[in-house]
Amino acid sequence: MLFRASKETGNMRAVHSSFRSSAFLVAAILLGSMLLQPEADAIPAFARKYGLPCSACHEAWPKLNNFGQTFKDNGYQLGNDRDAPIWQQPTYWPIALRMTPNWHREGADHMAVYDPATDSIINQGITTHGFDLSGMDMLTAGTLAKNISFLLVPSADNEGAFHFESASVRFSNLLKTSWLNAKVGKFELDNMVSEKRIMTLSNNGGLFQLYHFLPAGDYQASGDPNFVGFGLGDNQLGVEVSGHSKNDYTRYSVAVLSSNDGNVNLPTSRGYDTYLTFSQAFNAGSMGLQRVGAYAYVGQAPTIFLTDGVNVIPGAGTGNEKFYRTGFFGMWYLKKLDFTTMFMHGSESAYLYSGTPAGQTLPLGAQAPKWNGGWVETHYTVNPQLIILQRYEVIRMSQQGNSANASNYGDMDSLTFGYRYYPFMTSRAGFAFHNEYSRVRQRGTSPIPGLDLTTSSVFLGFDFIF
Amino acid sequence: MKVNQILMSGIAVLAAATMAVAAPGGGTVSGKVTYEGTPAKQKPIDMSKEPSCAKAHATPITTEAVVTGEGNTLENVVVYISAGAPDGATAPAQAVTITQRGCQYVPHLVALQVNQELKVVNEDQTSHNIHPLAKANREWNKSQPPGSPAFTEKFDKEEFIPVKCNIHPWMHSTFAVMKTSHYSVTAGNGGFTLPNLPPGKYTITAWHESYGTQTQDVTITGSETKTISFVFKAKPY
Amino acid sequence: MNTKVPSKWVLWLSALAILALPSAAAAQESHIGKLTGHASSGKELYRRFCIGCHGPRGDGQGENAPYVTPQPRNFVAATFKCRSTVTGTLPTDEDLFNAVTRGFNTTNMPSWEPLTPQQRADLVAYIKTFSERWKNEKPGTPIEVPAETAVTVESINHGKELFQKLECWKCHGPEGRGDGPSASTLTDSNDQPIRPYNFSVGTRFKCGTTNQDLYKIFITGVDGTPMPSFADVIKPNEAWDLVHYLRTLQVTRKGPESEFMKAKGGSTKAADKSGK
Ligand SMILES: [Cu+2]
Repeated sequence: MLFRASKETGNMRAVHSSFRSSAFLVAAILLGSMLLQPEADAIPAFARKYGLPCSACHEAWPKLNNFGQTFKDNGYQLGNDRDAPIWQQPTYWPIALRMTPNWHREGADHMAVYDPATDSIINQGITTHGFDLSGMDMLTAGTLAKNISFLLVPSADNEGAFHFESASVRFSNLLKTSWLNAKVGKFELDNMVSEKRIMTLSNNGGLFQLYHFLPAGDYQASGDPNFVGFGLGDNQLGVEVSGHSKNDYTRYSVAVLSSNDGNVNLPTSRGYDTYLTFSQAFNAGSMGLQRVGAYAYVGQAPTIFLTDGVNVIPGAGTGNEKFYRTGFFGMWYLKKLDFTTMFMHGSESAYLYSGTPAGQTLPLGAQAPKWNGGWVETHYTVNPQLIILQRYEVIRMSQQGNSANASNYGDMDSLTFGYRYYPFMTSRAGFAFHNEYSRVRQRGTSPIPGLDLTTSSVFLGFDFIF
Repeated sequence: MKVNQILMSGIAVLAAATMAVAAPGGGTVSGKVTYEGTPAKQKPIDMSKEPSCAKAHATPITTEAVVTGEGNTLENVVVYISAGAPDGATAPAQAVTITQRGCQYVPHLVALQVNQELKVVNEDQTSHNIHPLAKANREWNKSQPPGSPAFTEKFDKEEFIPVKCNIHPWMHSTFAVMKTSHYSVTAGNGGFTLPNLPPGKYTITAWHESYGTQTQDVTITGSETKTISFVFKAKPY
Repeated sequence: MNTKVPSKWVLWLSALAILALPSAAAAQESHIGKLTGHASSGKELYRRFCIGCHGPRGDGQGENAPYVTPQPRNFVAATFKCRSTVTGTLPTDEDLFNAVTRGFNTTNMPSWEPLTPQQRADLVAYIKTFSERWKNEKPGTPIEVPAETAVTVESINHGKELFQKLECWKCHGPEGRGDGPSASTLTDSNDQPIRPYNFSVGTRFKCGTTNQDLYKIFITGVDGTPMPSFADVIKPNEAWDLVHYLRTLQVTRKGPESEFMKAKGGSTKAADKSGK
């Protein structure tokens, strides 16, 4: 179960639930070799195809710059009538593999540990460390023909179990304008601040907490397969219509997505969600390009499930209840220094939080949880081969899902800092030495009731992609 | 202003010195360029794609990468003083002419001085483009349709510039742009003469488009005539 | 008295500085409209974006050069395809800026429009440091492009006559399909095979998309390629006639010329008849 959860890259909801529900599970997380490794679209296959160094598209791999973002938004095309595969050597094969052998150290302060001497559960800190592997991403992407492109990412956990992280086809420049493109399949939501191109890799810091946050005590994190929950960072299944100005300064996208949080086989719902984004960049002369944007995800999930008497009939859930995530962001450049600022407001229906079928009486104290969160991430790009970074992320509950909870229950603070050093910069392969420290504190979520839980990660790894 | 005047007068002095050098009466270096071995057989040119030019040639013509004469003499060799001659030779006022006739360059090779005018003439009933593939000088490329007037160009740096017409791939020439005024291009008999050399030590270089360069040192003491010869190794390919 | 002597020195020095600076700084700067590009900033950008093909020395021998056709531009030779200036001269800063912005269609050189104008200006300034020519020569004077003449049957037909007379068809083919008798023999100045533009495909020209760009292409020539300059052999108004005719060869492209042709019966032959 645990490893299942880890395979769903970035599916932190399940991980949070295990923190809360079982001391054993938490310990297993720490001891186990799980390493969250979001699929990153840093694709030497493209560099090889076009002869551009990684730094042409990436501010620092895997973070895109505006040139790389434009390339992506053009459907992986440079637009010189040479993108289609008929212009490539027949032997060209657009594939790249990414993995990160590493050493990491994980710590947690208030853990529940069985003490045989007293035959009781005691409060104890746990530290683990050792050499390890990340998961592996196979990134295949490119054009099938002019203006028809694809992305296919079979992704494995570090034991080799595969799933399809991304699989989409895109039709670009419909009606001969960059303002109209369509994508179908499983894909990352059009987040300009992309978690798939996150600059941090450790267990604690290797994700945006906000993109996967569910309030502490949320039934959707309990492991019930009928309640899949939602994460803005989870790849979703659906169709996206998007467009952008020629230089990509102005961007929009509208997506309609199956309400299954990206899980295949329609496991729970036959509803649809909507995601909207818009962003606008401004040229600030020698400072660089500044970008501001806003987004909104409005979704629903079923709470009533048909059964055949014993088992739930998949995909036939009804009694849909709403949830949403909305916010705005900015990407600010001061020459070599840049900041990403993110704000999100999130809310879930009280029925989803408590796992109550719609129309039935809510448990005592159940109400719609609401929260606000945000982060500031800073990069200092010394040169294309060295980037120093830090992120501070804050999530605060504004309304608990259960009025009996302490008002700060589940509040989260996360600090991450580190650097990535790229010893060489070519158009053939990506390689980085990655060093990072990350620390997450969540209020009241220790397995020992009433205590906060602080976990920390130290990570040293060789991140490579070929 | 003053600086300018000094500069100007300096140039005038230099010009006068050059004139003095050019005055008759010095020594002379002359001789012959030959080859040993077997030169590559020149390929016949198929001008059927350009009937107006094909008509101009009663007998089939061949490429001109190596042109030889009786007694193993080598034509189109530029023999010039590459070291020892005073710099600053002013370019002669009269232009050197290259003519496109029958889809060939006449002459095959043109030697001229830095900043000397080159006149380009098209006598054919077809368009040519004159495309000197210069490296040290500026690379340019001009179309010259039939009936259009001649034009002139100059080159401001010493260089052997390969010239081609892109429309007629067989058309090749060389613009040999010389820093010195002492140069000679061998004719069919392979002979060359470099007259009017004041006493001094000179390096004489012979350049051929297929066989490269050879050099010899010569010392002139009076109004003598020194005879030297260059022998290039011909390659059969 | 004491103050006068130094002020004289200051005058002298500043006069010297004014004399000396522009030539030294000009090679390190680019000027595009109100933008001033700086080679020092351009160098970092060049190493980030351009080095893979154009190489650390700007000689077009980057690590990818062997796999790139046509070969990356050699900035040391400083021969540039797309200019507003006469053949054999240096392009203007604006020409280079436009080339970087536009990219070169059907080559590996993409459009760098996603970079800020300042970044592109900086890159232009840096590109100019690779060749001494930028220190010793001035960019050529931009050719004058007169106001475009009206699209008429006469204009198109006269353009067609010019296409014949100037023997454009020798390379570009009788119908502009890039299949003229000399097409297969063409090589660029690096001795690499090069194909003449095929008008019937209707793709963007390497040096721009507008009628003005097309005008400049054949007047200035595309230096480094077999495409010569026709500046001396074609009059300005005739040049517009040729532009109008060339547009009709782009049969897949929608434009005033092809619309005109359609209205006149669809083919050049029909226009021929109506014109005669
Ligand atoms: Cu010719």
